[in-house]
Amino acid sequence: MKLLRSRLLGVILIIALLGLWEIVTDTKLVHSPSLPPVSAILVDWVRLLINGTLIAQLGPSLERIAFGYVAAVLVGVTIGLAMGYYRVAYNLLEPLTELLRPIPSPAYIPLAIIFLGLGDEMKIFVVFFACIFPILLNTYSGVSAIDPVQLNTARTFRLTRAQTVRKIVLPAALPSILTGMRISVGLALIVVVIAEMVASNTGIGAFILNAQRFFNVTDMYAGIFTLALLGYALNALFLRAEAHLLRYRAR
Amino acid sequence: MHRVSNTVLAAPVIALRGVGKTYHFGNQSTEAIDGIDLTIERGSFVSIIGPSGSGKSTLLQIVAGLLEPSGGEILFHGRPVTGPPPGMIYVFQQYEKSILPWRTVAHNVALGIEDRPDISRAECRDRCARYLELVGLAGVADRYPRQLSGGMQQRVAIARALVCEPDVLLMDEPFSAVDALTRAALQDLLLEVRERLGITVLFVTHDVDEAVYLSTHVVALTRAPARIDNSVAIELPYPRDQITTRESEPFIAYRHRLLSRVLAQQSSGAA
Repeated sequence: MKLLRSRLLGVILIIALLGLWEIVTDTKLVHSPSLPPVSAILVDWVRLLINGTLIAQLGPSLERIAFGYVAAVLVGVTIGLAMGYYRVAYNLLEPLTELLRPIPSPAYIPLAIIFLGLGDEMKIFVVFFACIFPILLNTYSGVSAIDPVQLNTARTFRLTRAQTVRKIVLPAALPSILTGMRISVGLALIVVVIAEMVASNTGIGAFILNAQRFFNVTDMYAGIFTLALLGYALNALFLRAEAHLLRYRAR
Repeated sequence: MHRVSNTVLAAPVIALRGVGKTYHFGNQSTEAIDGIDLTIERGSFVSIIGPSGSGKSTLLQIVAGLLEPSGGEILFHGRPVTGPPPGMIYVFQQYEKSILPWRTVAHNVALGIEDRPDISRAECRDRCARYLELVGLAGVADRYPRQLSGGMQQRVAIARALVCEPDVLLMDEPFSAVDALTRAALQDLLLEVRERLGITVLFVTHDVDEAVYLSTHVVALTRAPARIDNSVAIELPYPRDQITTRESEPFIAYRHRLLSRVLAQQSSGAA
């Protein structure tokens, strides 16, 4: 069957699971205030979308992600490039990177609070710090894997060092850089939600936690559903951008 | 000193003086090139042949300024080469790596001239189009390299070198990775553009037939550490023809002489 080979199959599974959820809650097979029917959640979700609550909560979260993420891209690519291009930079920074990288990002939220307070700066920093390592390491590995023939090509055409970086090194490392950037998009979302749950009154993370605390269970689910869609949308957007930037790989 | 020239008065474009190369691995060292003297006159087509591992490519990279010699010097227009000089372009054997996959054909060709302040954007575009036309790739200017055959990719590499209008092309086994028919077509293309543009070519190949067919002079190296074993002026008329030239008696005689030298060198190292 054609269906078995299409992605529609996975969509049908999701709809089936939601349907099952609806049936077991409607028929009171599962009867708990913690698990309202999907239909109730969807109604509440639409209400929250229309009255602007969700948008108002997503705004600050997306802003924190954007600042932290963009900073991580700029700094991560620069350091990764330096480490891949200059042996000295690698020797200098590799041990430090390997030491900082394994720290789970929530662990330095308390530290960030001490230095930066409870505001946006703290959250932006935490996003930045979580995002920088995948970008940095993937940039480094992309740059260090550049074929010597490409660097010699730059030399025989007498490109300056800056031109070589711009025209050869960065484009050659771009697939790796984009891989790191995509991993970091997911991390940014995780970390911003944690940071908002720990210390915030705004943002989607705070919204979900507050909903749970005040027993607005449908609100809580609506928040989680929103994150699922947001994560999916960001990843889909990223894949589109990646496919466009790496279109030269298509036959 | 091996002097290869068509006319006595021609000025040397490139001169190698006692060029040597020794590689060090830990406390071991291997001498790849022993000390080569060679003069290359303007407009000549010099092929370097030799048994595998004889340091032909190493020598070419040293001439290009891509590799530093351990001893001796290279003079280009009388000036010592310390890095890749203007007026000399190296064409790599690995065209699939040297041609940048993320650039279209036209943008690949523009690589060497797109940032030159003396060349306007429009001029750059025209010049790229002209050289793409010359190598027979006018129709694929907007394609990406992946979409082209190996032979077409190597044409892109040649156009990209020619667009810089160099005095000298250095070519490292440029046709070794394409099929025989494509190779013949590329050889004739190279001879034609050389004739038309008057460039000097220094060409490395392991294929004696190819060397004789293309060149005004063939230099045979010994096995490592490489020295010049033999230098032969190829007095076959241009334009050359894949069938008649290769079947002519002098061609066969040159081939016989050079191939036996190379084979002798190869087998003396083999056992």
